[in-house]
Amino acid sequence: MIDPAWVSGLSALLFVIGLAGAFTRKNAIIVLMCIELMLNAANMQFAAAAVHHGDTTGWVYTIFAIAIAASEVAIGLAIFLAMYGQHESITLDDVNVLRN
Amino acid sequence: MAGSGSSEIVHSTAALYAPYILLLPMVAFPIILFLGKMFNGNKMWKENLKEGGLIALGFMAASLGLSIWLISDFIGAYGGVEKLSDWTWFTSSMWNSGVLTTEITFGFGVHIDHITVMLLFVASFLCLLINIFAVGYMNTDPINDNRNHRFYAEFVLFCSGMLGMVLADSFLWLFIFWELMGLCSYLLIGFYYERPSAAYAAKKAFLTTRVGDVFLMVGLAVLWDLFGSLDYAVVFNEYNIDKVAASNPGTLAWALGLMFIGAVGKSAQFPLHVWLPDAMEGPTPVSALIHAATMVNAGLYLVARMFPFFGAESMHGELADLAFIIAAIGGTTAVMAAAIAFVQHDLKKVLAYSTMSQLAYIFTGLGAALYLANTLDWHHDYKAHGIVIVAFGAALFHLFNHAMAKGMLFMASGAVIHEVHHAHHHLHPHDDHHHDEDPKELLMLANYLADTGQSVFGFFNSIDLDQSGEVDTYEFQKALKQADIADLPPWEMQPLMKALDMDGNGKINVPELELTLGRVHLASLAGDDHHDHHDEFDAQSMENMGGLASKMPLTATAMLVGSLSIMGFPLIGGFWSKEGIIANTWRVALEDPRFFYPAFCVLLGAGMTGFYMSRMWLKTFAGSPKTDVAAHVHPTNTWIKTPLFILTFFSLAGILFAGMGFTHWAPDIEYGLMSDHGGLLGGILYELDHVFANEKTFFFVLTYVALFFGAIVGPGLALSLYGGKLDEGETYKPWFGPVLALNQAVKGRYHWDNSAFGKSGFATALENRLYFDHYYDMAMLKIVAAFSVKAAEADSSVIDGTVKTVERTSQQLSTKLRALTTGSARDYILMAALGTLVLFGLIWGVVA
Repeated sequence: MIDPAWVSGLSALLFVIGLAGAFTRKNAIIVLMCIELMLNAANMQFAAAAVHHGDTTGWVYTIFAIAIAASEVAIGLAIFLAMYGQHESITLDDVNVLRN
Repeated sequence: MAGSGSSEIVHSTAALYAPYILLLPMVAFPIILFLGKMFNGNKMWKENLKEGGLIALGFMAASLGLSIWLISDFIGAYGGVEKLSDWTWFTSSMWNSGVLTTEITFGFGVHIDHITVMLLFVASFLCLLINIFAVGYMNTDPINDNRNHRFYAEFVLFCSGMLGMVLADSFLWLFIFWELMGLCSYLLIGFYYERPSAAYAAKKAFLTTRVGDVFLMVGLAVLWDLFGSLDYAVVFNEYNIDKVAASNPGTLAWALGLMFIGAVGKSAQFPLHVWLPDAMEGPTPVSALIHAATMVNAGLYLVARMFPFFGAESMHGELADLAFIIAAIGGTTAVMAAAIAFVQHDLKKVLAYSTMSQLAYIFTGLGAALYLANTLDWHHDYKAHGIVIVAFGAALFHLFNHAMAKGMLFMASGAVIHEVHHAHHHLHPHDDHHHDEDPKELLMLANYLADTGQSVFGFFNSIDLDQSGEVDTYEFQKALKQADIADLPPWEMQPLMKALDMDGNGKINVPELELTLGRVHLASLAGDDHHDHHDEFDAQSMENMGGLASKMPLTATAMLVGSLSIMGFPLIGGFWSKEGIIANTWRVALEDPRFFYPAFCVLLGAGMTGFYMSRMWLKTFAGSPKTDVAAHVHPTNTWIKTPLFILTFFSLAGILFAGMGFTHWAPDIEYGLMSDHGGLLGGILYELDHVFANEKTFFFVLTYVALFFGAIVGPGLALSLYGGKLDEGETYKPWFGPVLALNQAVKGRYHWDNSAFGKSGFATALENRLYFDHYYDMAMLKIVAAFSVKAAEADSSVIDGTVKTVERTSQQLSTKLRALTTGSARDYILMAALGTLVLFGLIWGVVA
C-alpha cells in the first residue's frame, strides 16, 4: 500500500499547479479547470487523511465535495455561456464590470 | 374673591349655556370656510348668503343672545364666581420630591364676575354690529369678491377667541384664547396679503405682540410655580394668596409685572405700540374689531383680572410700585399717541392713535385703582371701599364707553372711506387701471439707455451674465442695481418681469426687451402730462375729504357723537368715565407724589384729545369739499347705517349708564351694581351732583379744569384752524348747526397760521411717529442682523463643518477602498489565496 504521505504530497503538488493555473491563465474555462484541480487536490488530501487515521469521515467528505464540484461546474459553465452572450468573449481580462 | 368673607354663588340655567357663547362662533369658523370653498363664485352663495356673512351673522346673533341671557342673570346680582361647567381636557401628574404623585386636571370652566360681564357684553355686542357693518362694507367692494368667506371665517374665529378669553376660568385658557386672537389678528390685518404693506403690517402686529406674549408666558409660569395652578379659583383664593404673600410677595409682584408686559403688547402701549397704526392695513371692519371690540381690550382685561392680588389684605403695599408703573406707562402713551394724532392725515390713523391714547387712559385709571386697592384698608373701612370701587369702575366704564364710541367711529370712518372710494371710482374709472401700466423702472431704464447711448443689444449682453441668450429675474435685478435705477425687493421685481416677459416663460430675450423699451419710450414722449395724473388717489386721506356733513348726515352724526364721547364732552359717554379716571389719578397723586406724572399726563391728554378729535371731524365733515371726489359722495347703505345708528344711542346714553351705577362697576361681587341712590333717576341726580358740584374743593376745581382743557381749549384750537362753513346751498341736519356756526365764529375771529409749527422739527418727528419704528428697525438690524450673521457663520463653520468633515473623510476613504475592487477575477483569487495564507499563518501561530 502506498504511504499516505506520498498521496498527500501529490495532492499538494496538484493544488499548487491548480493555483498557478488560476492565477496565470486568461481563459475562463481553463481557470475553472484549475479550480477543479484544486478541489480534487483537496479531495485527495481528505482521502489520504482518511486512510492515515483509519476513519471513513474523510471519504464521506470527498463524496460530498465531488457532488458540489459537479454542480459548481454546471453553474460555472452556465455563467460562462451568459458571459459569452454579453461580451462575446470568455477571456477574464475583458470582464471587469465589478470594478470600483 | 378678595372681598370680606364668603361669596354667594348664583345658580343660573343661563350659565349652563355659557360655553356655547364661544363655541357657536368657533363652530361657524369651519362651516363658513368649507362652504365658502365649495360654493365660491356661486350666485346664491354670493347674493343670498353674502359669501358667509349672513351665516356668521346668525351665529353671532345666537351668541349675543346667550350672552345677554347670562348677563341679565348675573348683572348686579350677588355672587357669580363659579366653575360652571367642567370638561376635562387632560390630566397630568407631577413629580413631587421624586415620587409621581400629584394629579392635576386641566379642564375648561366658565368664570363669571362683574369684569367678565362687562367685557362679555362689549365683545359680543360689538362683534354682532361689526358683522352687520361688514356685510355692507366687504360685500360691496369688488376687490373682495370671492374671498369674503375667508374674511368671515377669520372674523368669527377672532370673536370666539375674545369671548373665550373673557369667559375662561383660568389664566391658562386666557392665554390660549389670547394667542388665538393674536393669530386671527395676523390673518385679518394681512387680509390683502397681495399688498406688501399689508403683509408687512400683519407680520409687525404679530411679532410685536409676540414680544409681550413671551413675557406673559414667563409671568404665568412664575404664577404657576407660586400657586401650583392657574385656575382663578385657586390663584384668587384668599388663603392661597395669603400663603404666597407670607413666603415671597416679591416673586408675585414680578409675575404680575411680566404679565403686565403681555398686556402692554396686546393693548399697544408704549413701548410696544408700533404695531397698532400699521394694523390699519386690514379692512375697516377688522380695524373696528381690533380697536373696539376685542384685541386691545384683552390687555386691559388681563390687568383688571389681577385685581384680587392687588386687593388682598396680605399683599398690602407690596404691589404699589407695579401699580405706579401701570399708571405711568398709561400716562406716557396717552400724551405720546395724542401728539402723533395731531399730524395724521389718514382718517383711520387718527383713530388708531386715538385708540392708543384712550387705552392709555384706561391703563392709568386701572393703575390708580390698583394702587388704591393695594394701599387702602378697604376691607374694613367702608369709605375706602367706596373709593376703590369708584376708581376701578371709572376705568372699566371708560373701557365700555371707548369700545362703543371707537367701534362706531371706525365703522363711520369705514363708511366715509367706502363712499369716497366709490365716488372716486365713479368719477375716475380709468385711474383704476394704473396697475396695468408699465412700472416706472422701465421708463427709467429706457431713459438710462438713451442717456448713456447704449444699444439695447449691448445692454442685453452686459446683463446676460450666463450668456444664455435669455435674462432671468436675478440677472435683471443685478443690472438695475448696477445702473443705479432701482434696488427692488422680489415682490416688486415680479411685475417688472411680467411687463417685459411677453411670451410668459419667465425669461426675457432681446426682442422682448427691445419692443418693451421702445414702447415705453414712445409712451413717455407722447404724454408727459399723463404722469401727474396717476399718483394714487388716497381714499383714506382727510386731505381729500371735507364738507361731507351734508352728504352723509347719519355718518357725520355718528362721528360727531363718537368724537364728543371720546373727548369727554359733558353728559355723554366718555365724559363720565374720563372725569372719573382723571379725578382718581389726582386722588392718588395727593397720596403718592410719583403719581403726579400720570396725573398731569391724563389732564394734558384730555386737551389733546379734544384737539385731535375735533380736527378729525372738522377736516372730514366741515368746510367745502377739498376734491371733486368729496363733492360727489353719497350716503351709505343700510347695512352700514344700522350699527352706526344703534351705537350713536349707546354713546348718547352715557348718562343713563352712569345713573345705573356703571361708574362704580365693582371688581368684587359684594357690591351690587345698581347704586343705592334711589333707582335710575336718583342715580343720575347723584352722579350729576357728584361730578359738577363735588363737596371737596379740590375735585370741584379739577372737574372744571379738565373740562376746560378737554371741551374748550382743545376743540377751540381745532375750530380756529380747520373746517369752515359748508358750501352754499348744502343742507344739513339741524344738530350740525351749532357746531358749524361755532366753527365759523371761532375760525373767523381767531384764525391763525400754524404752518410754522407744521415745518418745525417737532412736527416732522411726530409725522415720523417719533422715530420709534425707525429706531426699532435699526436696533433689529444692528442686533438681530448682526447676530444672524454670526449665527450663520457658526452654522456654516461649526455645525455644517462637522457634518461636512465626516462626509468628506468617508468619501476619501471610500475612494481609496474602491481601488481594491478591480473587477478582475484573478485579483480576487489572489486575495482569497493571500487571505488563506494569512489564516494559516494565524492558526499556525496559535497552535504552535
